Amino acid sequence: MTEPVPVSAPTSCRQRLAWVWLLVVALLLGHNGWLWLVQRATPDTDILALLPTARHDDVVQRAFAHMVDSAQQKVVILIGNADWEQARKAATAYETVIARQPQLLRAMPGDAAQLQDAWLATFDHSRLLLLTAEQRRKLQTDTPQQWSQVALGTLYGAFGGPKLGAWQDDPFGLFSGWVQQRAQETPVRPRDGRLYVEGNGRNYVLLLMDLQQPAFSLGAQQQLIPLLDAATHAAQQAVPGVEVISAGVILHAAAASAQASSEMSTIGAGSLLGILLLMWLTLRSFKPIALIALSIAIGCLGALSVSWLLFGRLHLLTLVFGASLVGIAQDYAIYFLCARLGAPAQTSSRRLLRQLLPGLGLMLLAAVIGYLGMAATPFPGLRQMAVFSVLGLLFAWLTVVLWFPALIHADTLRATPLATAYGNSIGKWPMFRWNRTGLLLLAAFAAFTATGLSRLQVSDDIRALQKTPQHLIDDQIKLGKLLDAPTPAQFYLVRGASAEIVLQREEQLKQGLQPLIAAKVISGAQAISNWVPSLQQQQADRDLVQATLLNAGNAAPLAAIASTIGEDQQWQNNLRQRLQAQSQPLLPQNFIDSAAGVPWRHLWLGQIEGQYATIVALRGVNDYRQLPLLAAVASKVEGVQWVDKVADISSVLRYYRQYMSWALLAAYLTILVLLSLRYGRHAWRAIAPPLTATLLTLALFGLLGQPLQLFHVLACLLLLGLGVDYGIFLQEQQHQQRRHAWLTIGLSALSALLSFGLLALSNSPPLHAFGLTMLIGMALIWLLSPCFSQAPLYPTVGAKPFSNDHNN
Amino acid sequence: MMINSSLRHYLAPVLFAALSAAAGLVQAAAPVAQIQTALAKPAVMCGRFDQTKQLTGIKKPLAANGRFCVVAGKGILWQTRQPFPSTLRITRDAITQLQDGRVAMRLDAQQEPVVKMINNVLFSLLAGDLSQLDKLFELDGSIKNGNWQVALKARQPGLAKAIGDIQLEGGAYVNKVIMQEASGDHTEIVFSAIQTGATAMSADEGAMLD
Repeated sequence: MTEPVPVSAPTSCRQRLAWVWLLVVALLLGHNGWLWLVQRATPDTDILALLPTARHDDVVQRAFAHMVDSAQQKVVILIGNADWEQARKAATAYETVIARQPQLLRAMPGDAAQLQDAWLATFDHSRLLLLTAEQRRKLQTDTPQQWSQVALGTLYGAFGGPKLGAWQDDPFGLFSGWVQQRAQETPVRPRDGRLYVEGNGRNYVLLLMDLQQPAFSLGAQQQLIPLLDAATHAAQQAVPGVEVISAGVILHAAAASAQASSEMSTIGAGSLLGILLLMWLTLRSFKPIALIALSIAIGCLGALSVSWLLFGRLHLLTLVFGASLVGIAQDYAIYFLCARLGAPAQTSSRRLLRQLLPGLGLMLLAAVIGYLGMAATPFPGLRQMAVFSVLGLLFAWLTVVLWFPALIHADTLRATPLATAYGNSIGKWPMFRWNRTGLLLLAAFAAFTATGLSRLQVSDDIRALQKTPQHLIDDQIKLGKLLDAPTPAQFYLVRGASAEIVLQREEQLKQGLQPLIAAKVISGAQAISNWVPSLQQQQADRDLVQATLLNAGNAAPLAAIASTIGEDQQWQNNLRQRLQAQSQPLLPQNFIDSAAGVPWRHLWLGQIEGQYATIVALRGVNDYRQLPLLAAVASKVEGVQWVDKVADISSVLRYYRQYMSWALLAAYLTILVLLSLRYGRHAWRAIAPPLTATLLTLALFGLLGQPLQLFHVLACLLLLGLGVDYGIFLQEQQHQQRRHAWLTIGLSALSALLSFGLLALSNSPPLHAFGLTMLIGMALIWLLSPCFSQAPLYPTVGAKPFSNDHNN
Repeated sequence: MMINSSLRHYLAPVLFAALSAAAGLVQAAAPVAQIQTALAKPAVMCGRFDQTKQLTGIKKPLAANGRFCVVAGKGILWQTRQPFPSTLRITRDAITQLQDGRVAMRLDAQQEPVVKMINNVLFSLLAGDLSQLDKLFELDGSIKNGNWQVALKARQPGLAKAIGDIQLEGGAYVNKVIMQEASGDHTEIVFSAIQTGATAMSADEGAMLD
C-alpha cells in the first residue's frame, strides 16, 4: 500500500493517528512474521483441549497421546495372494521401491528368530508363575493321575505338541500352553523370514514401516503417496492380481489435505472471481476490493497477534471460526465505500466519516457485545473465539476509521448504471405492514417455522463430520479384521497408587470382560497383565502349581512319573527343585524394557502425577451400539475408566453447539437492547431480518431432515452479525440515501454469499453445513431486510443518480 | 514365535510321510534323485513304529511303540500303544492329541495359523511336491544297492537350532528316522510291517481321518 496521508498536509490529530496506526500495522506484521516463520508456531489441534479444565483429565490426555503417537508414524501394508511364494515375491518388489527413499519411509527391523530368543529370555525364569485361566481351572479339578499322564504322554510321545525347551523345564506343558495363549493375541506369525497373516483364502505378507517425517507434514504426504503408488504398481507388475492393502494415519491426512487443497482452488478461486466481478460491475474499479481485503487482513493479523499474546496459544478451531467471524468486518469498509458513493463531492471524506461514525460505532458495539456472550462460557475454545473475533473486528474497524478517509476521495469511486438501477429497485420493494396481508404472512411464517423447528434434529457425532475416501475405509476395515487389531479410539484406562494395584485392577477388569468375550461383543483384551500378572496372581499361581503338581506325596504326579520311568527319589527332588527355581517374580518394568515388551509399550503409561496408569485395549469391536456394555464394565472395578475418544469429541461438539446456541440467543437480546437505546421502538426492525432468516433457515433444515450441528449454529451467529449491520444501514438512512444503504447491503450480502455461501459446495461436512446455512440465510436476509425497514423519511423517487455527484 | 517349536514336534511324521510318499524327490544331488526312484508312492500306508528316546537327565531310554497310517490328501494318524495309549491326528483343519478318549491338546487351523503352515508343507509333500522340503532343508544323500540314507540340515538358523540334525534311512520305504538335538536329546524311530493299499487301514482308523 502507499502512504496513507500526504506528508505535506498539515499535521492534525487524525493524521497522527493514521501514522500511529501504520506503526501498529507494521508491528503486527513483524509479530506475525516472527510467530509463524521464526517461532514456527502451530495451532493446537486436539479437540479435547477445548473442554473446560474441570472436565479435562490430564492422564486421559496422555493416554490418547500415547496411543496416537504409537500409531501415527506407522504405515502398515499387507500384500496378499493365494500363493505364499507369490505374495513374498510381490512384497520384495514392493520393498525395493520403498527402499529408494529411506529418508521418508523405513521398514521396521526385526529378525523373527532373534526375537524369539529375546522373548523366551524374559519369561524363562518365571515359568512357574504363568498360568492361563483354563490351566487354573484344570489344576483345581483334574486328578494327580491325569497330570502324570499328561507329562508321560509328552515324554514318550514322538510329537507331544508344541513345547519350549527341554521336557524337564515344562513337564506338564503349562508354560507352552501359556505361550500358546499369548500367541493368540495376534494372528501374525513369522514365516520364512517374513511376517505372515492368513485370511480371505489368501496369504499375506505384513510389512511394518516407520515414517521418518511427521505424518501431518504436507511435504511428507506429497512424497509418500506417489511412493506407495509406485511400490503397489511394482508389486502388481511382479505378481499380477496381487492384493495390496495399506493403512496409516498419514494416508487419511493426505486424503484430507488433497481434498482441502482441491476445494480451496475451485471454491476459493470461484469466490474470488465472483467478488472481483461484482466490484467491477458495481464500481468499475478493483480498488474497493483491495481496501476491503486490507481492512479484513489487518483485522486478522491483529486478532492473531493479540490473542496469541493473551492466551499463549491458539486452537485451530479458533482460527477457522474466528477468521470467518472477522468476515463481518467487510461491512465497515463497504458501508464507508457506499456512503462515499452517495455523498456529494463537496463533502470531504473526513466529514463523511464523522457523519458515519455513530452507525459504524453501533455496528462494532453490536458485534462486540454479541460475541462477548461466548466469552462468558466455561469453554476455552469459545472464549478464544470470542476474543479473537472481537479483536479482529476492532482492528478492521480502526483501519476503516483511521485510514479510509485518507485513502478514498470523492472521485475515487463511480457507480455504474447497474449499481444505480439496483439501488433504485428498493423503491418498489414490498414493505411489511401490520395489516391483513402482513398478519396472514406472519401466521404462515409462524406455522412454517413451528413445523420445521419441531422436526429439527441435532447431531454431534464426530463420525458424521468426517468424510474419508471409501477405499481408505475399506482398507482400514480389511486390515483391522486380518490383524485383529485393537480399536485406538476406545479403551479402558486403569489407575492405581502402585504398578501392583494397577495390574490387580486390570485382572479384575478382564474377569468382568469374560462374559462379553463369550458373547462375542469383543474378541479379546490386550493388557500388560496378560504378560505380567500381578504379583498377587503370580504368587497364587505358584502356590497352586506347588500344591497340585509339585507336592512330595507318594500319590503326587512327580512320584508317579518317576516310578514309571524308573527314576529314584533323588531325580524327583532334582526335578522339583529345577521347576521351583523358575519362579523369579516378573515385574512390569522389566517386561516393558525387554524386546518382548516392545509391541506392548503403548499400553504402559507408567507413572503420571504420582499414579500408575495402563491402558487395556479391546480387540474385535465391530458394533458401536455395543459400546455402552463395555462402558458399564468399567464402573464395576475401582480405578478403571472407560475412555471413548469418539464419544468425547462428540460431547465437545455437543457442549459447544449448546453453549453457542445460548450465546446466540443472548446476543439477540443484548443487541436488541443496545439498538433500542438508539432507535427506540423501531429497534426490532433491525433485528427482524436476521431473526426471520435464521428461523426460516433452521425450519427448512428441519423439514429437509438435515440435523443441526455446531457449524450451523456458528453460521447463525455470522448471520446475526451481518443482518444487524444491514438493519443499522437502513435505520441510519438520514445520513445517506436509502438506495445507498440498499447498495451497501447488496454488496455485503453478495460478498458474503460468494465467500461463505459457496462453501455449501464443499465435500467436507462441516464446511458444507456452514456454507449451506450462510447461503440460505444470507439470501433471505438480503431479500427481507428492506421489508422491515422504516418507511422512508423522504421520497427516493426522483433523487439524483449516484454518478451525478461527481459530474460537475 | 510358535513355528519353530511346533515344526520341530511335527517334523518327524511330516518327513516320514514325505519320503515314503515321494515320487519326485529333490533334484539337488544325484544320489537323492536315485533315492526318489527307489521310493514307492502308495495312497494309503500303515505300519508299526518303535521309538527310542534318550533324554538328558533321564537314565533309562524311553521306549514306545504303536501304529501309524499315512493317507495322501487326508492326513496322518499316529497311535502310540505302549506304554500309554495316545493318538496324534494331523488333518487339514487341526492337529489333535487324544488321550484316554479325550482331547488333550488341539491346535485349530482357524485359530492358530501355524497349523496351516505345517499342513501346507505336509500336504504338498504328500502330493509329491518336494520343493517344499528343499525350501526348508539342505539334503545330502547316498544310495547303495537300493538302500539309501539322507541327512537333512535346516536352511534357517532358527529352525536348525530348534530341530537339530535329522537322518533318514530306507529302501522302498523309510525304515528309520534319527533326530539328534543340540541339547543332547536323541530319538530313533524304526518303521516295520508296512502295508499299503485299501486294506492297510482299519475302518476305525479310516473314520478318524474323515
